[in-house]
Amino acid sequence: MTAATLPGYRKRKRVGRQVRIWAGVALCVLFLFPVFWMVLSSFKLPRDIFTTPPVLFFDPTLETYISYMQRADISRRMVNTVTVATGSGLLSIVAGAMAGYALARIRIKGAATLGVLILMSRGVPPIALAVPMFLVARKLGLTDKHITLILAYCTFLIPYVMWLMRGFFKGLPKELEEAALLDGCSRYGAFFKIIVPISLPGLLSTLIFSVILAWEELLFALVLTNRNASTIPVAIAGIAGDTVNGANWGALTAVGTLTVVPVVIFALLVQKWLIKGLAEGATKG
Amino acid sequence: MSKVEIRNLRKTYDNLEVIHGIDVDIADGEFVALVGPSGCGKSTLLRMIAGLEEITSGEILIGDDVVNDIAPKDRDIAMVFQNYALYPHMSVRRNMGFALKQRGLPASEIDKRVAEAAGILGLADYLERKPRQLSGGQRQRVAMGRAIVRNPNVFLFDEPLSNLDAKLRVQMRSELKELHQRLATTTVYVTHDQIEAMTLSDRVVVMNGGNVEQAGPPLELYDSPHSLFVAAFIGSPQMNFFEGTLSDRRSLVLADGVELGLGKHVAQPGAEVTIGVRPEHFNIGKGDGWPSQAIVIEPTGSETQITTRIAGHTARVLLRGRTSIEPGQTIHLETDPENIHVFSQATGRVL
Repeated sequence: MTAATLPGYRKRKRVGRQVRIWAGVALCVLFLFPVFWMVLSSFKLPRDIFTTPPVLFFDPTLETYISYMQRADISRRMVNTVTVATGSGLLSIVAGAMAGYALARIRIKGAATLGVLILMSRGVPPIALAVPMFLVARKLGLTDKHITLILAYCTFLIPYVMWLMRGFFKGLPKELEEAALLDGCSRYGAFFKIIVPISLPGLLSTLIFSVILAWEELLFALVLTNRNASTIPVAIAGIAGDTVNGANWGALTAVGTLTVVPVVIFALLVQKWLIKGLAEGATKG
Repeated sequence: MSKVEIRNLRKTYDNLEVIHGIDVDIADGEFVALVGPSGCGKSTLLRMIAGLEEITSGEILIGDDVVNDIAPKDRDIAMVFQNYALYPHMSVRRNMGFALKQRGLPASEIDKRVAEAAGILGLADYLERKPRQLSGGQRQRVAMGRAIVRNPNVFLFDEPLSNLDAKLRVQMRSELKELHQRLATTTVYVTHDQIEAMTLSDRVVVMNGGNVEQAGPPLELYDSPHSLFVAAFIGSPQMNFFEGTLSDRRSLVLADGVELGLGKHVAQPGAEVTIGVRPEHFNIGKGDGWPSQAIVIEPTGSETQITTRIAGHTARVLLRGRTSIEPGQTIHLETDPENIHVFSQATGRVL
């Protein structure tokens, strides 16, 4: 490249960079604005929420939070949501990771077909499963119980975990397990002592996504629970769909914010695990 | 330590046979190199010895026991992989001690053995590091250390040096040889590099297309290759080949009518053959010998390689020391009739 063309090239490159940055900012605004609106509205008095023009500066109030946190059904539902989301997340990560490992590594006749079938089960609309599930649960006397919801969530979480982890395990050098097999491990030993520790970033990120999926699930919770095991999304749906008093937007935004915050905190806490490359250095590099 | 016997071993993947009934005997303490081009089955054979691939038919014996149905962990074998396969989440110390811990050895014994191996391999200062904090050569040493702490029946190496740069490879090669002389553990070493195979091993097994082409001490393979394949595979620069028909005038007639004198009586005049002469077996003659034209002269100091053309056929000549031959000059290539290898074109075998 000659000296004459260099500045022009640099300038073009700089402009391209600016365009990309601003496109990114615009996308973030687009996606985050509803969240921003929800959080902001949750601190307003109900009468201030829909004023035109919107009020940006107001006296923040915790009134809606206080009144809703005191309601027994909301705090109980919060506990239920935590229980069901972590329970189904953990169960599906254990079962799904082991299934994914088997599909990735062990030569089983028809493994590919099996994998596709399990994936296809995710294509069934949940509403088609909800009613049969309810009938089965009622027959077994299991309606409105945490375990029912946990098992129901596993039906879609396990295929999800299985496929994500299968891809992750396929990316690991198979010589690692072979070395472990020669060093005196069984298949299970190689999996738990070598593969699981180095797959922690993948396992954790998959766990987070599973927990979030379970956290925000509405349909099964609506059908399978009633009072005792009911979750926050059901409460939100109840507030939004209140045909008697009309939607209480203050409550909706406050409970919505309460639902989002734990997920964000959780994601931030495990973030450093996601970035850290644990598998580094295993091979020639 | 143990001998390894391979009897009529076959391997089939989905109806495709990749190893066609191989027999190899490896004596106690012997260093055997399996060498051949990619896809010749050498790695598959090694992995079958390790127990990482199932045996379709035939038998593998380690010591006096058939190990066909014995799990890898119970074969008392240590393997060094091409990509090292170090456990990334463990320190060098734990990597090396892992197999011993699996066997339930007391911590003091593990520490002692790891320290000993680390001393041999010059890793004593790196024991607390993770694999990612090591250079390629150090990782390679850890992989070897992981194998030697176990004091196994058999060492298996799967192209262990191929990821190192050229200089380090040569250095590790002699270290490996020294290590074997010291430990005298039965070793099977897979490589596609014939120089590695020649320099390291007591015996070389040349494989081709799932068969053993020839097995023997390195120099025996070099001096009397049984087939065209072995002749071409062993030796660098490669043996020169000329295809033609044997005449009753003790000569070879090439396709274009050029006649090369062989200086010896060869049976079967009229046979279609390929003759081979190693580059260093040519001498520059005075007026007799095969007339040829020097094209490229490549001196390396200790020797000089000359690329010549004999009536359109390229031949390489390796001379010890230096030469005053200039490109374009006509030279006469002589060779001792003993050094001419004659192979059948039909079978590729030596005549």
